[in-house]
Amino acid sequence: MSSEAAAAPPRPLAKRILGETPSAWVFVAPAAVIIVGLAIVPIGWSLVLSFRASDLLSPGHSVGFANYDALLDDPDLRSAVGHTLVFTGLFVPLSIVFGLLLAIALNRPIRLIGFYRTAILLPFIASTAVQGVLFSYIFDERFGVANAVLDKLGIARQGFLGDPDQALLVIVLIALWGGVGFSVIIYLAALQDVPRDLVDAARVDGAKRLGVLRHVVLPQLMPVTVFLVIWQTLLSLQLFDLVYATTRGGPLDSTVVVVYYVYKQAFVLFNAGYAAAVAYVVAAFLIALACLQILYRRLSARHA
Amino acid sequence: MASRARVLMTVVALAATALIAVSCGGDDDDGGSGGKAKLTFWHGQTEMWADCLATQIAEFNRTHKNIEVSSDTGGVVADRMLQKVTAGLQAGNYPDVAYVFGSDLANFAKSDKLVDLTDSDKIDIDAFYPAGRDAATVDGRVRAVPALIDNLAIVYNRKLFKEAGVDFPNDDWTWDDFRATAKQLTDDARGIVGTGWPGTGDEDTTWRIWPLVWQLGGDILSEDGDTVGFDGASGEGALSYVRDLSADGSVYIDTSAGSERMNQLFQSNKMAMIATGPWNLPDFVDAKVDYGVALLPAFQGEHTTIAGPDVWAIFDNGENRAKAAEEFVGWLTSAEQNLTCATQAGSLPTREDVTKLDGYQDYVNSLPGLTKFVDNLQNAQVRPTIAEYPQISQAMGKAIGLMLFQKAEPADALQDAVDKSNAALRVPGP
Amino acid sequence: MRERALPFSPWHLLLAPAAILFALPFAWMVLSSFMSNAQINHFPPTIIPDSLHVVGWDHVLRRATFPSWFVNSMIVASVTVVSNLVFCSLAGYAFARLRFRGSSLLFALIIATLIIPFQLTMIPTFIVMERLNLVDTLAALIIPGLVTPLGVFLMRQFFVSLPREVEEAARIDGCSRLGVLLHVAIPLARPALATLAALTFLISWNDLLWPVIAINSDETFTLPLGLTTFQGQHTQDWAAVMAGNVITAVPVVVAFLLAQRTFIESLTSSAVKG
Repeated sequence: MSSEAAAAPPRPLAKRILGETPSAWVFVAPAAVIIVGLAIVPIGWSLVLSFRASDLLSPGHSVGFANYDALLDDPDLRSAVGHTLVFTGLFVPLSIVFGLLLAIALNRPIRLIGFYRTAILLPFIASTAVQGVLFSYIFDERFGVANAVLDKLGIARQGFLGDPDQALLVIVLIALWGGVGFSVIIYLAALQDVPRDLVDAARVDGAKRLGVLRHVVLPQLMPVTVFLVIWQTLLSLQLFDLVYATTRGGPLDSTVVVVYYVYKQAFVLFNAGYAAAVAYVVAAFLIALACLQILYRRLSARHA
Repeated sequence: MASRARVLMTVVALAATALIAVSCGGDDDDGGSGGKAKLTFWHGQTEMWADCLATQIAEFNRTHKNIEVSSDTGGVVADRMLQKVTAGLQAGNYPDVAYVFGSDLANFAKSDKLVDLTDSDKIDIDAFYPAGRDAATVDGRVRAVPALIDNLAIVYNRKLFKEAGVDFPNDDWTWDDFRATAKQLTDDARGIVGTGWPGTGDEDTTWRIWPLVWQLGGDILSEDGDTVGFDGASGEGALSYVRDLSADGSVYIDTSAGSERMNQLFQSNKMAMIATGPWNLPDFVDAKVDYGVALLPAFQGEHTTIAGPDVWAIFDNGENRAKAAEEFVGWLTSAEQNLTCATQAGSLPTREDVTKLDGYQDYVNSLPGLTKFVDNLQNAQVRPTIAEYPQISQAMGKAIGLMLFQKAEPADALQDAVDKSNAALRVPGP
Repeated sequence: MRERALPFSPWHLLLAPAAILFALPFAWMVLSSFMSNAQINHFPPTIIPDSLHVVGWDHVLRRATFPSWFVNSMIVASVTVVSNLVFCSLAGYAFARLRFRGSSLLFALIIATLIIPFQLTMIPTFIVMERLNLVDTLAALIIPGLVTPLGVFLMRQFFVSLPREVEEAARIDGCSRLGVLLHVAIPLARPALATLAALTFLISWNDLLWPVIAINSDETFTLPLGLTTFQGQHTQDWAAVMAGNVITAVPVVVAFLLAQRTFIESLTSSAVKG
């Protein structure tokens, strides 16, 4: 190895000084230009908007930090944040656990596996508008299939989407139905990447199925799991379409999540400036969280 | 080497595709001064009314050679019109005429791009019914033209009434009668419910309560317009009524987006009475429901109801196009044109001279019960065209929701709604 | 001890109900497209059409501009998929393997753009498109979707998980960075690329809100946008909407089936590992 390295031609001066940077920037440039370039205008525009009282129809005027002050005292915003946290806190772990479970099940060479694999991915394909219609039928309090099934099982009928205390949970269920498919895809690919020899070695050492799962497979899946947690969290925080298609934030505002609250403020109540301030505060909060997490990882890596 | 070439080819192909896509873009209709004025018309409608409007557009273009109204509808339905027009106004690319919800007009009026039609010679606002006139006027200036007028009445299912042995409603009935009837007709065993009320908390939930407030002597705004007019007995009475109705178990709380579940239940003979407008009648006929129409009940006196007119708004794209747009809208809202698409629009006539036209009787006979709605126009009041109405609507919608779900006392819910509304009215606004 | 296809595996007990749960609403959608509107509007809803009504299909397919909706959606989605495959791979690889100044910051920035809700960003984006004179063109739909942050994230994640040895061997053999990406990393990345392609296709194909804002003319509609013309404020042509949604779903199902093939391939191509 080392002899080969010594035989390699000396790297050009530019490369030695700047390191990988030039070629790396070429790789990254298109993505950076399009994503960040296109995002700069909206981000700047929203930021300016957050310091104004504006309905987007008339010129509006500057109000300094008044919007930010107001949102600290806004009980509706606090509810919206609460609902978002509940949704995220339920959706992310459940979609990962069920995704893994289904992926393990789908990783078997049993009959009909092709059919199962297709069936499980189908919900992922339905648009949220269609999901909204379908599930408002299924969960209808009087005539939905869900209550009919509960009836047969002898359980009391539930209000589901018509019950302020249950609607958000039902939304979680619908989101799981539509979103678990992605976890399944990712886990399925990851499971097939688990090195065969590790599994075989463990088997040879006498480990049972569950043991293999716990001590060999799951650790191998850790990076993918972390990825999925981040991914599903990012998606949960953006929840809007499903709420718009099913409950419009009701009943009694029990399904208003942050993005829906921003939409309501901007396009129902004509408070676009306030909406922008809300969006920024939430964004700042998330970025702070992410920074803390990175910091924590750097620190713990250093101490490791 | 081959792979690098492949990458290059992909990039070139992409760029080429993008260029082609770009060049196959929309035209840049300018409607320059003196030339043919080209208008964009976002009517926001679909299905039957859209088809009828298309023939009207063709007819107008045929008879007005100096104006061309585009047949492209803008790709937006009425529900999304606010968002799209707002984006358009911000970017400087907006339509000439658009269909605007009455409750949104006061906010659009804050834009200087919304043409002021008070002194227009093409539009005679006094020809329209008062409800429409009021809905199109903001701060004393005419800022739009009525497009659709409706009002709320009670449509009841005669079959269910007969089966339960209950008398049909008459024109003198009271809210107590309504409550008793709803209770009588509710039959949990057969899955039949007396009536329904939207429960999402948006305007569809709220606008139904104003008739009760008006009948109890209150109003949305107080005399001076600085505070609400429903604090006190009128508001509390109205909310209590809703709460009592719900406590009886005779109300289906419709939490679906767009409140269509109520309509579906009625069409399936599962709901005995529904407060609705004339737009639903064609569906009821289609579904072969044996229905009748009754005025809204009264407390003691008038059977006051609410009308929710929507309007055609004209936006300023230069004097040439604005004038042409006025001419087009004036033509579109004339008596003859009004009658032409009234059935498809599910709208009542917007102006009295429509009732004098030849085809009017046929129109009225085309839908059983339609005459009741037309007569009801004289009982109808409208919401005030103020920019803060959406906030009031939200606040009251929340209160009604609390009544429907029986989660609060009327007095407390009312106080909350009053406080929030007054706070909104106090804000000077942009 | 080889695993062979068992006549009855206990896993069926889990998968069968799950499959039914997942497939049933979809099946209902297909069946509804063959109902009449009266039947769809009937409550409680029924699953089996009382007879084969094709009125929904008729309404959708008869619409003069329907073929162009389909073609437009296809163009936008295909270009979006190809460009994402190329640019997300490039960027993802760079973030995963190349050390350069500002890499963490840039990556964080890219992910951060996801956090501002679309409801707010759509207006300024529309303003940008207007300035570029691209309103009402397919380009307006394509450009914002050329590279998605989630795609960059996905590819970076995948490349990070690759064992470095093969790449390093190639580097030592004198391969350039791009060469390593093209000849070593990409071939290994087929499952991830397939996932990215399917996902990007799905997002682009089903997008509704942005086309509503950006497109004005009938011939430039995409499929979801065109389908909104069957739903009114008070009346909806549900049969047509369902038929339309079935048509909309077919290409996505095909895309996912194709993507799935790749996973099965990688199951058998274990020669790539080790």
